Amino acid sequence: MTQTAVRAETSAVDYPPDLAARLAEIVGEQFVLNRPSELLVYNSDGLPGYRRQPRLAVFPGTRDQAIAVVRLLAAEKIPFVPRGAGTGLSGGALADDIVIIGIHRLRKIISVDVDNRRATVEPGVVNLKLNRHVAALGLLYAPDPSSESACTIGGNVAENAGGPHCLKYGVTLNHVLGLTVVLPSGEVVELGSKVGEKDGYDLRGAFIGSEGCFGLALDVTVKLTPKPQAVRTLLADFMSVNDAAQVTSAVIASGIVPAALEFMDGATIRVVEDSIYAAGYPRDAQAILLIELDGLEAGVVADLETVRRICIDGGARNVRVARDEAERMKLWQGRKKAFGAMGRLAPHLIVQDAVIPRTKLPEILETIHQISEKHHVLVCNVFHAGDGNLHPNIAYSADDPAESERVHKAMREIMQACIAAGGSITGEHGVGLDKMGYMESIFPETSLNAMCELRSVFDPERRSNPGKVVPVHSCREWLAVPASRRAEKEPPPLEAQPSRPVA
Amino acid sequence: MSSETISASVRESFAARTPLRIAAAGSWLDAGRPVRAESKLSLRDESGVTSYVPADLTITVRGGTSLAAIEATTKERKQWLPLDPYGSSEGTIGATIATASAGPLSSNFGLARDLVLGLEFVNGRGEIVRAGGKVVKNVAGFDLSRLLTGSWGSLGVITEATLRLYALPEIDRTFLVDLSGPEQRVTAVLQTMSTVPLTPYAFQLISGSITHALQLGDQPVGLIRFGGNSAAVKTQASALAQIANAEEVDIGVWTRLRQLESGAHTALRISSLPQRIVGTASRILSDNVPGVFTSIDPRRGVIRVVAGAVDGADSSNQIAAGVVQTDSSEIVFEKLPADLWSVVSPSVVADPLSQGIKRAYDPHNILNPGILGNLN
Repeated sequence: MTQTAVRAETSAVDYPPDLAARLAEIVGEQFVLNRPSELLVYNSDGLPGYRRQPRLAVFPGTRDQAIAVVRLLAAEKIPFVPRGAGTGLSGGALADDIVIIGIHRLRKIISVDVDNRRATVEPGVVNLKLNRHVAALGLLYAPDPSSESACTIGGNVAENAGGPHCLKYGVTLNHVLGLTVVLPSGEVVELGSKVGEKDGYDLRGAFIGSEGCFGLALDVTVKLTPKPQAVRTLLADFMSVNDAAQVTSAVIASGIVPAALEFMDGATIRVVEDSIYAAGYPRDAQAILLIELDGLEAGVVADLETVRRICIDGGARNVRVARDEAERMKLWQGRKKAFGAMGRLAPHLIVQDAVIPRTKLPEILETIHQISEKHHVLVCNVFHAGDGNLHPNIAYSADDPAESERVHKAMREIMQACIAAGGSITGEHGVGLDKMGYMESIFPETSLNAMCELRSVFDPERRSNPGKVVPVHSCREWLAVPASRRAEKEPPPLEAQPSRPVA
Repeated sequence: MSSETISASVRESFAARTPLRIAAAGSWLDAGRPVRAESKLSLRDESGVTSYVPADLTITVRGGTSLAAIEATTKERKQWLPLDPYGSSEGTIGATIATASAGPLSSNFGLARDLVLGLEFVNGRGEIVRAGGKVVKNVAGFDLSRLLTGSWGSLGVITEATLRLYALPEIDRTFLVDLSGPEQRVTAVLQTMSTVPLTPYAFQLISGSITHALQLGDQPVGLIRFGGNSAAVKTQASALAQIANAEEVDIGVWTRLRQLESGAHTALRISSLPQRIVGTASRILSDNVPGVFTSIDPRRGVIRVVAGAVDGADSSNQIAAGVVQTDSSEIVFEKLPADLWSVVSPSVVADPLSQGIKRAYDPHNILNPGILGNLN
């Protein structure tokens, strides 16, 4: 990376006055937005605590238009942020006075190859749409983030999205075979392979999870999975959070790999049961585990019995197995819509995504409980217990400065406890803006610098999603800038900003 | 030895611009493009388990730890690393990851890239870099673990790896499926096997030459491995019996299969859409060329061809010339006689992105220079 690149990421941009008009020539006038009121809806993602107003948003409708847009921005050296459905939970798709390239109009399922179990789709295809499309063919696309009904495959690739069923099936990375990408320079490259296995550097692996910093995917070829012969979903409820955590560890240690193993605490159960997503969870329970097993009928029946026994021996009050598909879907709906249900508690929600070694679950849940009491905040825990991927949620009002401060303090302490337990700061939501401040607590300078260097290979001018993921001050070249000049370039410290009243 | 020692050696070579050949057990020194390096950087002493928490199903080991050592440690806790690359189990985890090697179990458990949770490596400047982590799910920062996996030591020296483990199955049985007979009949059997609900741990179709070397006859056969709880294995064994003639063989056949090819001078993989491979498998297997081992993973869509492991005509020239990359297939060369590389596959890192990455991570081109191709 050159010093020019660092400068590009931290300094002001010259916008040609006719930019909107020239973009409109490519995509059509109605697909360029530049009035502040029209852009308000794009000023946050799924974490409403962060707001950044984009300068302009452009929505290409075809692959060629997308390439032309990226090339025009490259020619004018204008930074941009690729954006899918905006369901992200890290502030990653926010554009701070720069251009948004929205991909939701690129929503063609280009091909489905049933025999070879793969599909090629445009990046704006909604995750659940792809799943509904292939379900009729006896197949499924395994990664199933809770936002599946809205989020896009392009966004999933950028975040390396997970979901409950990633416990058994793996995350987005494990399901993407190849992609066509337009680099920030406008050059179009193929990464991975749509037909076989390649050698050389795993550029596909590097691109997946690059949070929009390496360019824009134009098409994505994914692996499809045959629907399992049998699926059983079990609900175990507990009168103690610790018992549920111990049972989680015991199931994992047993060697059975459930399709999903989800945890919801009492506070979450009651919020869900009060909402339109009520799933029939026992309201008085302190915790429930939702455990799904799938595979061959005979094998699943045997494993189900083993898991049931582990739950009962571990202190479960009741263990109930969904009798039919309708009951199963209902149990899942409560889990998948839990974030939405929390909207009942307060106008804003902050959620973390730390991952801990699974054996540390009981002690970390106790620590979270103590932290929430100390700061007088209500933490709702709903998470992928089987992976050790926590999602402590705090509903609050960002407009109340005192409450905001307590919430952020609590969240910082929770994160520090997870890091101290040997964990990671994010399992599936990405670093974005939200967790950038923690990158230095889990990676040495050399690692951050290696990440900066990789980014600079894909985007030497650092125009694609600037100011995200890796703090610019951790790059080798930044350190080469004299200290006296760093202060003026250093981006302001990151804190969630109170929401502004909507005009 | 420690990462600091490795780091010091690389820093010294960086300063002096001395190219290094990275080696541990040395099993891969005859693979990849010829490397011009006067000095060897040995990871032979970089072995051992750094941490192992069985209940987390993860293990952290030094880069020079042998696959056999990992197997022995995890087996005590009824766990395993389901990664079975071809070659000796004395081969190391660092080399396995660096070469992205995987064997028959990969069609069920994934490739090396799917089992690596985190790495520590020393880049071409001698800096110790940590990538990924020790937990099973992690998207913190850009994915350097994936980048290093399959980079053949050309971006960094892998000093430590954290891996995902699985529980050893309660039952683990292997069957030999008869694939002799008319092409059409064999294809029909394979088609049926790809549609019925079988979830084998591994499924390989092997040529008569391999069957012969394994002393299992001289006809092409399928080897299929079922693992899991007894109910799941029993159901699959009966389902298999309905489709084809199958007899149980000792599980040790897999180890023998992996170790057959020591001394081979040519090894390559052709991959394509799985159904295309299934459609041609019978014909490929019936072309029994003495001295050439052909095995097919129909679910992964890979044909592996190995020559020179047993006496026979020197066929690498014909094989290499006969293999043509098309839009519907990919070819990966693992081993070739040294003089063939420049003709057959001079570089797999010639594209600007790969060149940029190599320059960034190894600016003086001292780590296994040329092994994947030269800098432009």
